Amino acid sequence: MNCEKCEELIGDLLDGALNSRDELTLNSHLEECLDCASVRRDLDSILSFCRANRGQYSAVPNDKALWLRIRNVIEASNADEPTSNAVVATRKPFLSSWMSRRWELSLPQLSASAAAMVLIVSLVTFVGLRRLDRSAPVVTPPPVLREATNLNDRLLQQRQVISYWNQRIELNKARWNPTMRETFDRNMKVIDDQVSQSLNDLNLNPHDEVSEQMLNEALNDKLSLLKEFADL
Amino acid sequence: MSTRFLTRRPQYRACLFSLVAVIAVVAFSESAAVRAQQRLSKRYPTGKNVRIELKNISGTITVESWNRDEIKLTATMESPSAHIVPRQIDETLLVDVMADNRGRGDVGDVNFVLQVPVNSSVDLETRRGQISVSNVRGTSVRAHVSSEGDIELSNITASQVIAQNTIGNIYFEGEFSRGGTYELKSNKGDITVRIPGDSAFRLIATSAKKISLGQFWNDGFKALSDGRRYIGDVGDGRSSVSVTTFSGTITFMRK
Repeated sequence: MNCEKCEELIGDLLDGALNSRDELTLNSHLEECLDCASVRRDLDSILSFCRANRGQYSAVPNDKALWLRIRNVIEASNADEPTSNAVVATRKPFLSSWMSRRWELSLPQLSASAAAMVLIVSLVTFVGLRRLDRSAPVVTPPPVLREATNLNDRLLQQRQVISYWNQRIELNKARWNPTMRETFDRNMKVIDDQVSQSLNDLNLNPHDEVSEQMLNEALNDKLSLLKEFADL
Repeated sequence: MSTRFLTRRPQYRACLFSLVAVIAVVAFSESAAVRAQQRLSKRYPTGKNVRIELKNISGTITVESWNRDEIKLTATMESPSAHIVPRQIDETLLVDVMADNRGRGDVGDVNFVLQVPVNSSVDLETRRGQISVSNVRGTSVRAHVSSEGDIELSNITASQVIAQNTIGNIYFEGEFSRGGTYELKSNKGDITVRIPGDSAFRLIATSAKKISLGQFWNDGFKALSDGRRYIGDVGDGRSSVSVTTFSGTITFMRK
Protein backbone atom coordinates (compact mmCIF):
# COMPACT_ATOMS: atom_id res chain seq x y z
CA MET A 1 0.00 0.00 0.00
CA ASN A 2 1.27 3.48 -0.75
CA CYS A 3 0.97 6.59 1.43
CA GLU A 4 -1.70 8.22 -0.71
CA LYS A 5 -4.04 5.25 -0.42
CA CYS A 6 -3.22 5.01 3.26
CA GLU A 7 -4.23 8.65 3.90
CA GLU A 8 -7.53 8.01 2.13
CA LEU A 9 -8.26 5.07 4.39
CA ILE A 10 -7.14 6.49 7.76
CA GLY A 11 -10.49 8.25 8.27
CA ASP A 12 -12.39 4.99 7.68
CA LEU A 13 -10.01 3.17 10.01
CA LEU A 14 -10.70 5.63 12.83
CA ASP A 15 -14.44 5.36 12.17
CA GLY A 16 -14.17 1.57 12.27
CA ALA A 17 -15.59 1.30 8.79
CA LEU A 18 -12.82 -0.79 7.19
CA ASN A 19 -13.06 -4.50 6.55
CA SER A 20 -10.59 -6.79 8.28
CA ARG A 21 -8.37 -7.33 5.24
CA ASP A 22 -7.96 -3.59 4.48
CA GLU A 23 -7.45 -2.90 8.19
CA LEU A 24 -4.65 -5.47 8.30
CA THR A 25 -2.92 -4.05 5.23
CA LEU A 26 -3.29 -0.49 6.54
CA ASN A 27 -1.93 -1.32 9.99
CA SER A 28 1.09 -3.06 8.52
CA HIS A 29 1.78 0.08 6.40
CA LEU A 30 1.36 2.34 9.45
CA GLU A 31 3.91 0.24 11.33
CA GLU A 32 6.45 0.80 8.57
CA CYS A 33 5.65 4.42 7.56
CA LEU A 34 6.32 7.10 10.16
CA ASP A 35 4.64 9.91 8.17
CA CYS A 36 1.35 8.06 7.82
CA ALA A 37 1.50 7.02 11.45
CA SER A 38 1.89 10.70 12.37
CA VAL A 39 -1.13 11.63 10.24
CA ARG A 40 -3.13 8.93 11.96
CA ARG A 41 -2.10 10.23 15.37
CA ASP A 42 -3.06 13.82 14.52
CA LEU A 43 -6.41 12.86 13.14
CA ASP A 44 -7.07 10.54 16.07
CA SER A 45 -6.32 13.30 18.57
CA ILE A 46 -8.64 15.78 16.73
CA LEU A 47 -11.44 13.26 16.70
CA SER A 48 -10.92 12.39 20.37
CA PHE A 49 -11.02 16.05 21.32
CA CYS A 50 -14.20 16.61 19.32
CA ARG A 51 -15.87 13.57 20.85
CA ALA A 52 -14.85 14.63 24.37
CA ASN A 53 -16.14 18.20 23.98
CA ARG A 54 -19.26 17.50 21.93
CA GLY A 55 -22.07 20.03 22.70
CA GLN A 56 -19.82 22.29 24.79
CA TYR A 57 -18.88 24.91 22.18
CA SER A 58 -19.95 28.40 22.99
CA ALA A 59 -21.44 30.53 20.25
CA VAL A 60 -19.15 33.00 18.58
CA PRO A 61 -19.79 36.37 20.18
CA ASN A 62 -19.69 38.32 16.93
CA ASP A 63 -19.76 36.08 13.90
CA LYS A 64 -19.54 38.98 11.42
CA ALA A 65 -16.37 40.26 13.07
CA LEU A 66 -14.93 36.76 13.05
CA TRP A 67 -15.57 36.31 9.33
CA LEU A 68 -14.05 39.72 8.70
CA ARG A 69 -10.90 38.70 10.53
CA ILE A 70 -10.68 35.43 8.65
CA ARG A 71 -11.07 37.28 5.35
CA ASN A 72 -8.36 39.77 6.31
CA VAL A 73 -5.99 36.95 7.16
CA ILE A 74 -6.65 35.21 3.83
CA GLU A 75 -6.24 38.45 1.86
CA ALA A 76 -3.06 39.29 3.71
CA SER A 77 -1.60 35.86 2.98
CA ASN A 78 -2.61 36.19 -0.71
CA ALA A 79 -0.94 39.60 -0.89
CA ASP A 80 2.27 38.18 0.57
CA GLU A 81 2.32 35.18 -1.73
CA PRO A 82 3.52 36.80 -5.02
CA THR A 83 6.44 38.52 -3.30
CA SER A 84 7.58 35.36 -1.63
CA ASN A 85 7.25 33.28 -4.75
CA ALA A 86 8.30 35.99 -7.15
CA VAL A 87 11.57 34.40 -8.09
CA VAL A 88 10.33 30.93 -8.96
CA ALA A 89 6.74 31.47 -9.94
CA THR A 90 5.75 32.79 -13.36
CA ARG A 91 2.81 35.10 -13.31
CA LYS A 92 -0.38 33.92 -14.98
CA PRO A 93 -1.22 35.96 -18.08
CA PHE A 94 -3.75 38.71 -17.55
CA LEU A 95 -6.34 37.20 -19.89
CA SER A 96 -6.27 33.74 -18.33
CA SER A 97 -6.38 35.16 -14.80
CA TRP A 98 -9.27 37.39 -15.88
CA MET A 99 -11.06 34.48 -17.47
CA SER A 100 -10.51 32.18 -14.53
CA ARG A 101 -11.69 34.81 -12.07
CA ARG A 102 -14.92 34.06 -10.34
CA TRP A 103 -17.53 36.72 -11.04
CA GLU A 104 -20.13 37.07 -8.42
CA LEU A 105 -22.50 39.97 -8.87
CA SER A 106 -25.43 41.01 -6.80
CA LEU A 107 -28.79 41.59 -8.50
CA PRO A 108 -28.43 45.40 -8.65
CA GLN A 109 -24.89 45.03 -10.03
CA LEU A 110 -26.13 42.57 -12.64
CA SER A 111 -28.97 44.90 -13.66
CA ALA A 112 -26.62 47.87 -13.88
CA SER A 113 -24.17 45.86 -16.03
CA ALA A 114 -26.94 44.77 -18.39
CA ALA A 115 -28.20 48.35 -18.71
CA ALA A 116 -24.68 49.62 -19.39
CA MET A 117 -24.16 46.99 -22.09
CA VAL A 118 -27.45 47.88 -23.79
CA LEU A 119 -26.48 51.56 -23.71
CA ILE A 120 -23.02 50.92 -25.17
CA VAL A 121 -24.34 48.68 -27.95
CA SER A 122 -27.01 51.25 -28.86
CA LEU A 123 -24.47 54.05 -29.00
CA VAL A 124 -22.03 52.05 -31.12
CA THR A 125 -24.80 51.04 -33.54
CA PHE A 126 -26.06 54.60 -33.83
CA VAL A 127 -22.59 56.05 -34.46
CA GLY A 128 -21.80 53.26 -36.94
CA LEU A 129 -24.97 53.87 -38.93
CA ARG A 130 -24.34 57.60 -39.00
CA ARG A 131 -20.84 57.01 -40.37
CA LEU A 132 -22.12 54.52 -42.95
CA ASP A 133 -24.68 57.04 -44.15
CA ARG A 134 -22.02 59.72 -44.45
CA SER A 135 -19.55 57.49 -46.30
CA ALA A 136 -22.15 56.07 -48.73
CA PRO A 137 -22.41 58.07 -51.92
CA VAL A 138 -25.60 59.99 -52.18
CA VAL A 139 -27.73 58.94 -55.09
CA THR A 140 -31.20 60.27 -55.14
CA PRO A 141 -33.88 57.71 -55.99
CA PRO A 142 -34.98 57.58 -59.60
CA PRO A 143 -37.84 59.90 -60.46
CA VAL A 144 -41.03 58.08 -61.33
CA LEU A 145 -42.07 58.30 -64.93
CA ARG A 146 -45.52 59.76 -65.27
CA GLU A 147 -47.70 60.08 -68.31
CA ALA A 148 -46.53 63.25 -70.01
CA THR A 149 -48.64 64.78 -72.66
CA ASN A 150 -46.07 66.57 -74.74
CA LEU A 151 -42.67 65.60 -76.06
CA ASN A 152 -40.72 68.11 -73.97
CA ASP A 153 -42.24 66.89 -70.68
CA ARG A 154 -41.53 63.33 -71.66
CA LEU A 155 -37.95 64.15 -72.56
CA LEU A 156 -37.46 65.98 -69.27
CA GLN A 157 -38.76 63.04 -67.28
CA GLN A 158 -36.62 60.58 -69.22
CA ARG A 159 -33.55 62.73 -68.65
CA GLN A 160 -34.18 62.83 -64.91
CA VAL A 161 -34.35 59.04 -64.75
CA ILE A 162 -31.31 58.71 -67.01
CA SER A 163 -29.42 61.12 -64.77
CA TYR A 164 -30.09 58.91 -61.76
CA TRP A 165 -28.80 55.80 -63.51
CA ASN A 166 -25.83 57.74 -64.85
CA GLN A 167 -24.83 58.55 -61.28
CA ARG A 168 -24.99 54.90 -60.36
CA ILE A 169 -22.92 53.94 -63.39
CA GLU A 170 -20.25 56.50 -62.46
CA LEU A 171 -20.03 54.99 -58.99
CA ASN A 172 -19.53 51.46 -60.31
CA LYS A 173 -17.49 52.18 -63.41
CA ALA A 174 -14.16 52.12 -61.60
CA ARG A 175 -14.69 48.42 -60.84
CA TRP A 176 -15.11 47.42 -64.51
CA ASN A 177 -12.26 46.21 -66.63
CA PRO A 178 -11.02 48.59 -69.37
CA THR A 179 -12.69 46.57 -72.14
CA MET A 180 -16.06 46.80 -70.44
CA ARG A 181 -15.64 50.54 -69.90
CA GLU A 182 -14.75 51.09 -73.55
CA THR A 183 -17.68 48.91 -74.66
CA PHE A 184 -20.10 50.84 -72.51
CA ASP A 185 -18.84 54.23 -73.70
CA ARG A 186 -18.94 53.17 -77.35
CA ASN A 187 -22.49 51.84 -77.08
CA MET A 188 -23.68 54.82 -75.13
CA LYS A 189 -22.30 57.09 -77.83
CA VAL A 190 -24.21 55.15 -80.51
CA ILE A 191 -27.46 55.64 -78.62
CA ASP A 192 -26.72 59.29 -77.87
CA ASP A 193 -26.11 59.86 -81.58
CA GLN A 194 -29.51 58.33 -82.28
CA VAL A 195 -31.18 60.58 -79.77
CA SER A 196 -29.54 63.62 -81.37
CA GLN A 197 -30.44 62.44 -84.85
CA SER A 198 -34.07 61.84 -83.90
CA LEU A 199 -34.28 65.24 -82.22
CA ASN A 200 -32.89 66.89 -85.36
CA ASP A 201 -35.42 65.02 -87.50
CA LEU A 202 -38.19 66.14 -85.17
CA ASN A 203 -37.04 69.74 -85.38
CA LEU A 204 -37.29 69.55 -89.14
CA ASN A 205 -40.57 67.69 -89.11
CA PRO A 206 -42.27 67.94 -85.68
CA HIS A 207 -45.13 65.60 -86.65
CA ASP A 208 -43.00 62.78 -87.99
CA GLU A 209 -44.32 59.68 -86.24
CA VAL A 210 -41.34 57.49 -87.09
CA SER A 211 -38.81 60.04 -85.76
CA GLU A 212 -40.79 60.39 -82.55
CA GLN A 213 -40.96 56.64 -82.13
CA MET A 214 -37.25 56.27 -82.85
CA LEU A 215 -36.50 58.93 -80.26
CA ASN A 216 -38.60 57.13 -77.67
CA GLU A 217 -36.96 53.82 -78.44
CA ALA A 218 -33.48 55.32 -78.32
CA LEU A 219 -34.21 56.82 -74.90
CA ASN A 220 -35.62 53.52 -73.67
CA ASP A 221 -32.57 51.72 -75.03
CA LYS A 222 -30.32 54.16 -73.23
CA LEU A 223 -32.16 53.55 -69.99
CA SER A 224 -31.95 49.77 -70.44
CA LEU A 225 -28.22 49.95 -71.16
CA LEU A 226 -27.65 52.10 -68.09
CA LYS A 227 -29.69 49.80 -65.86
CA GLU A 228 -27.99 46.66 -67.09
CA PHE A 229 -24.49 48.05 -66.69
CA ALA A 230 -25.32 49.61 -63.33
CA ASP A 231 -25.59 46.05 -61.97
CA LEU A 232 -22.00 45.22 -62.88
CA MET B 1 16.17 10.93 -40.62
CA SER B 2 19.73 10.30 -41.67
CA THR B 3 20.95 12.32 -44.61
CA ARG B 4 24.26 10.58 -44.89
CA PHE B 5 23.21 8.60 -47.94
CA LEU B 6 22.88 11.85 -49.89
CA THR B 7 26.49 12.70 -49.39
CA ARG B 8 27.84 9.19 -49.80
CA ARG B 9 25.79 7.95 -52.74
CA PRO B 10 25.84 10.37 -55.71
CA GLN B 11 23.33 8.23 -57.66
CA TYR B 12 20.73 8.71 -54.89
CA ARG B 13 21.28 12.43 -54.96
CA ALA B 14 20.86 12.60 -58.74
CA CYS B 15 17.71 10.51 -58.48
CA LEU B 16 16.23 12.75 -55.82
CA PHE B 17 16.98 15.95 -57.73
CA SER B 18 15.44 14.52 -60.91
CA LEU B 19 12.29 13.57 -59.03
CA VAL B 20 11.97 17.03 -57.50
CA ALA B 21 12.51 18.63 -60.91
CA VAL B 22 9.83 16.45 -62.54
CA ILE B 23 7.33 17.23 -59.77
CA ALA B 24 8.08 20.95 -60.04
CA VAL B 25 7.63 20.96 -63.83
CA VAL B 26 4.33 19.05 -63.63
CA ALA B 27 2.99 21.27 -60.83
CA PHE B 28 4.00 24.46 -62.62
CA SER B 29 2.46 23.45 -65.95
CA GLU B 30 -0.79 22.36 -64.23
CA SER B 31 -1.11 25.59 -62.26
CA ALA B 32 -0.25 27.67 -65.33
CA ALA B 33 -3.01 25.93 -67.29
CA VAL B 34 -5.49 26.48 -64.49
CA ARG B 35 -4.49 30.13 -64.29
CA ALA B 36 -4.94 30.58 -68.02
CA GLN B 37 -8.40 29.06 -68.36
CA GLN B 38 -10.88 27.12 -66.37
CA ARG B 39 -13.32 24.75 -67.96
CA LEU B 40 -16.60 23.43 -66.72
CA SER B 41 -18.42 20.63 -68.50
CA LYS B 42 -21.63 19.10 -67.25
CA ARG B 43 -24.47 17.01 -68.59
CA TYR B 44 -28.08 17.23 -67.46
CA PRO B 45 -30.59 14.52 -68.32
CA THR B 46 -33.87 16.07 -69.45
CA GLY B 47 -37.04 15.38 -71.34
CA LYS B 48 -37.69 16.50 -74.87
CA ASN B 49 -39.08 19.98 -74.14
CA VAL B 50 -36.41 21.91 -72.39
CA ARG B 51 -35.95 25.54 -71.44
CA ILE B 52 -32.53 27.15 -71.11
CA GLU B 53 -32.11 30.43 -69.27
CA LEU B 54 -28.60 31.80 -69.44
CA LYS B 55 -27.48 35.20 -68.19
CA ASN B 56 -23.87 35.96 -68.98
CA ILE B 57 -21.83 39.08 -68.37
CA SER B 58 -19.28 38.89 -71.13
CA GLY B 59 -18.36 36.17 -73.59
CA THR B 60 -19.83 34.13 -76.39
CA ILE B 61 -22.86 31.88 -76.14
CA THR B 62 -23.34 29.06 -78.61
CA VAL B 63 -26.41 26.86 -78.52
CA GLU B 64 -26.91 23.96 -80.88
CA SER B 65 -29.29 21.04 -80.87
CA TRP B 66 -28.45 17.35 -80.83
CA ASN B 67 -30.42 14.11 -80.88
CA ARG B 68 -30.23 13.36 -77.18
CA ASP B 69 -32.56 13.98 -74.29
CA GLU B 70 -29.92 15.75 -72.30
CA ILE B 71 -28.17 19.09 -72.09
CA LYS B 72 -24.42 19.39 -72.26
CA LEU B 73 -23.04 22.62 -70.92
CA THR B 74 -19.44 23.62 -71.47
CA ALA B 75 -18.13 26.86 -70.05
CA THR B 76 -14.67 28.23 -70.56
CA MET B 77 -13.77 30.84 -68.00
CA GLU B 78 -11.09 33.39 -68.64
CA SER B 79 -10.64 34.20 -64.97
CA PRO B 80 -9.94 31.57 -62.29
CA SER B 81 -12.11 33.56 -59.91
CA ALA B 82 -15.21 33.01 -62.08
CA HIS B 83 -17.80 30.81 -60.48
CA ILE B 84 -20.69 29.10 -62.25
CA VAL B 85 -23.43 27.12 -60.56
CA PRO B 86 -25.96 25.85 -63.12
CA ARG B 87 -29.28 24.87 -61.58
CA GLN B 88 -31.75 22.46 -63.04
CA ILE B 89 -35.36 22.90 -62.06
CA ASP B 90 -37.59 20.34 -63.73
CA GLU B 91 -37.05 20.84 -67.44
CA THR B 92 -35.35 24.22 -67.06
CA LEU B 93 -31.62 24.81 -66.82
CA LEU B 94 -30.70 28.13 -65.23
CA VAL B 95 -27.27 29.72 -65.43
CA ASP B 96 -26.78 33.20 -63.99
CA VAL B 97 -23.17 34.32 -64.16
CA MET B 98 -24.06 37.70 -62.67
CA ALA B 99 -25.73 36.22 -59.59
CA ASP B 100 -23.10 33.51 -59.16
CA ASN B 101 -20.28 36.04 -59.14
CA ARG B 102 -21.76 38.93 -57.20
CA GLY B 103 -19.07 40.50 -55.06
CA ARG B 104 -16.23 38.65 -56.81
CA GLY B 105 -15.15 41.60 -58.93
CA ASP B 106 -14.30 41.28 -62.60
CA VAL B 107 -14.68 37.69 -63.78
CA GLY B 108 -13.71 38.33 -67.41
CA ASP B 109 -15.16 36.44 -70.34
CA VAL B 110 -17.09 33.24 -69.87
CA ASN B 111 -17.74 31.41 -73.13
CA PHE B 112 -20.59 28.93 -73.19
CA VAL B 113 -21.37 26.07 -75.53
CA LEU B 114 -24.69 24.32 -74.95
CA GLN B 115 -25.94 21.24 -76.69
CA VAL B 116 -29.66 20.87 -76.19
CA PRO B 117 -32.57 18.73 -77.36
CA VAL B 118 -34.15 19.98 -80.59
CA ASN B 119 -37.39 21.16 -79.00
CA SER B 120 -35.73 23.50 -76.55
CA SER B 121 -36.70 27.06 -75.76
CA VAL B 122 -33.75 29.34 -75.13
CA ASP B 123 -33.51 32.65 -73.33
CA LEU B 124 -29.99 34.04 -73.60
CA GLU B 125 -28.62 37.30 -72.29
CA THR B 126 -25.19 38.83 -72.16
CA ARG B 127 -23.84 42.31 -71.59
CA ARG B 128 -21.23 41.82 -74.28
CA GLY B 129 -20.43 39.05 -76.73
CA GLN B 130 -21.74 37.06 -79.63
CA ILE B 131 -24.78 34.80 -79.42
CA SER B 132 -25.30 31.95 -81.81
CA VAL B 133 -28.26 29.55 -81.83
CA SER B 134 -28.73 26.85 -84.42
CA ASN B 135 -31.16 24.04 -85.28
CA VAL B 136 -33.58 24.72 -82.46
CA ARG B 137 -37.32 24.13 -82.78
CA GLY B 138 -38.65 25.13 -79.37
CA THR B 139 -41.45 27.52 -78.47
CA SER B 140 -39.31 30.59 -78.08
CA VAL B 141 -35.84 31.89 -78.79
CA ARG B 142 -34.61 35.08 -77.16
CA ALA B 143 -31.13 36.48 -77.66
CA HIS B 144 -30.33 39.76 -75.98
CA VAL B 145 -26.96 41.50 -76.10
CA SER B 146 -27.08 44.68 -74.02
CA SER B 147 -24.15 46.30 -75.79
CA GLU B 148 -22.17 44.84 -78.66
CA GLY B 149 -22.11 41.41 -80.19
CA ASP B 150 -23.49 39.75 -83.29
CA ILE B 151 -26.53 37.52 -83.06
CA GLU B 152 -26.83 34.58 -85.39
CA LEU B 153 -29.95 32.43 -85.38
CA SER B 154 -29.76 29.59 -87.90
CA ASN B 155 -32.39 27.05 -88.82
CA ILE B 156 -34.82 28.25 -86.18
CA THR B 157 -38.45 27.21 -85.97
CA ALA B 158 -40.07 28.92 -83.02
CA SER B 159 -43.32 30.78 -82.55
CA GLN B 160 -41.58 33.61 -80.71
CA VAL B 161 -38.19 35.01 -81.59
CA ILE B 162 -36.61 38.10 -80.09
CA ALA B 163 -33.11 39.22 -81.02
CA GLN B 164 -31.74 42.53 -79.83
CA ASN B 165 -28.37 44.21 -79.56
CA THR B 166 -26.94 47.73 -79.58
CA ILE B 167 -23.95 47.32 -81.89
CA GLY B 168 -23.68 44.24 -84.08
CA ASN B 169 -25.32 42.41 -86.93
CA ILE B 170 -28.34 40.16 -86.58
CA TYR B 171 -28.87 37.20 -88.83
CA PHE B 172 -32.05 35.15 -88.78
CA GLU B 173 -32.49 32.06 -90.86
CA GLY B 174 -35.54 29.89 -90.28
CA GLU B 175 -39.27 29.79 -90.64
CA PHE B 176 -42.04 32.06 -89.48
CA SER B 177 -44.68 29.96 -87.73
CA ARG B 178 -48.34 30.72 -88.17
CA GLY B 179 -49.43 33.17 -85.46
CA GLY B 180 -45.85 33.67 -84.31
CA THR B 181 -44.13 36.94 -83.41
CA TYR B 182 -40.63 37.88 -84.50
CA GLU B 183 -38.78 40.93 -83.32
CA LEU B 184 -35.29 41.77 -84.51
CA LYS B 185 -33.75 45.03 -83.37
CA SER B 186 -30.32 46.61 -83.52
CA ASN B 187 -29.22 50.16 -82.89
CA LYS B 188 -26.19 49.96 -85.11
CA GLY B 189 -25.95 46.84 -87.21
CA ASP B 190 -27.25 45.17 -90.33
CA ILE B 191 -30.17 42.78 -90.08
CA THR B 192 -30.51 39.91 -92.52
CA VAL B 193 -33.58 37.67 -92.64
CA ARG B 194 -33.43 34.48 -94.68
CA ILE B 195 -36.76 32.67 -94.92
CA PRO B 196 -38.60 30.31 -97.30
CA GLY B 197 -40.12 31.95 -100.36
CA ASP B 198 -43.65 31.00 -99.32
CA SER B 199 -43.44 32.68 -95.94
CA ALA B 200 -46.51 34.65 -94.89
CA PHE B 201 -46.23 37.52 -92.44
CA ARG B 202 -47.10 41.08 -91.58
CA LEU B 203 -43.96 43.22 -91.61
CA ILE B 204 -42.96 46.48 -89.99
CA ALA B 205 -39.42 47.30 -91.11
CA THR B 206 -37.70 50.47 -89.92
CA SER B 207 -34.27 51.69 -90.94
CA ALA B 208 -32.79 55.11 -91.50
CA LYS B 209 -30.38 53.60 -94.01
CA LYS B 210 -31.77 51.01 -96.41
CA ILE B 211 -34.56 48.44 -96.49
CA SER B 212 -34.36 45.70 -99.10
CA LEU B 213 -37.29 43.28 -99.18
CA GLY B 214 -36.18 41.41 -102.31
CA GLN B 215 -38.79 39.04 -103.62
CA PHE B 216 -41.01 39.68 -100.61
CA TRP B 217 -41.72 43.20 -101.81
CA ASN B 218 -45.23 43.83 -103.12
CA ASP B 219 -47.26 46.88 -103.98
CA GLY B 220 -49.27 46.55 -100.82
CA PHE B 221 -46.34 47.88 -98.78
CA LYS B 222 -46.69 51.40 -97.44
CA ALA B 223 -43.62 53.60 -97.11
CA LEU B 224 -43.58 56.06 -94.21
CA SER B 225 -41.24 58.94 -93.26
CA ASP B 226 -39.41 59.15 -96.56
CA GLY B 227 -39.01 55.41 -96.86
CA ARG B 228 -37.56 54.91 -93.37
CA ARG B 229 -40.37 52.54 -92.53
CA TYR B 230 -42.25 49.94 -94.57
CA ILE B 231 -45.43 48.32 -93.39
CA GLY B 232 -47.19 45.58 -95.33
CA ASP B 233 -48.33 41.98 -95.59
CA VAL B 234 -46.57 39.17 -97.35
CA GLY B 235 -48.96 36.33 -98.19
CA ASP B 236 -51.82 36.16 -95.73
CA GLY B 237 -49.82 37.89 -92.99
CA ARG B 238 -50.35 35.09 -90.50
CA SER B 239 -47.29 35.94 -88.40
CA SER B 240 -46.06 39.28 -87.11
CA VAL B 241 -42.55 40.47 -87.93
CA SER B 242 -40.88 43.64 -86.71
CA VAL B 243 -37.39 44.50 -87.87
CA THR B 244 -35.69 47.71 -86.71
CA THR B 245 -32.21 49.06 -87.12
CA PHE B 246 -31.42 52.71 -86.56
CA SER B 247 -28.21 52.92 -88.52
CA GLY B 248 -27.92 49.71 -90.48
CA THR B 249 -29.52 47.98 -93.41
CA ILE B 250 -32.39 45.48 -93.51
CA THR B 251 -32.23 42.69 -96.04
CA PHE B 252 -34.79 39.96 -96.67
CA MET B 253 -33.57 36.95 -98.61
CA ARG B 254 -35.21 33.82 -99.89
CA LYS B 255 -33.99 30.58 -98.42
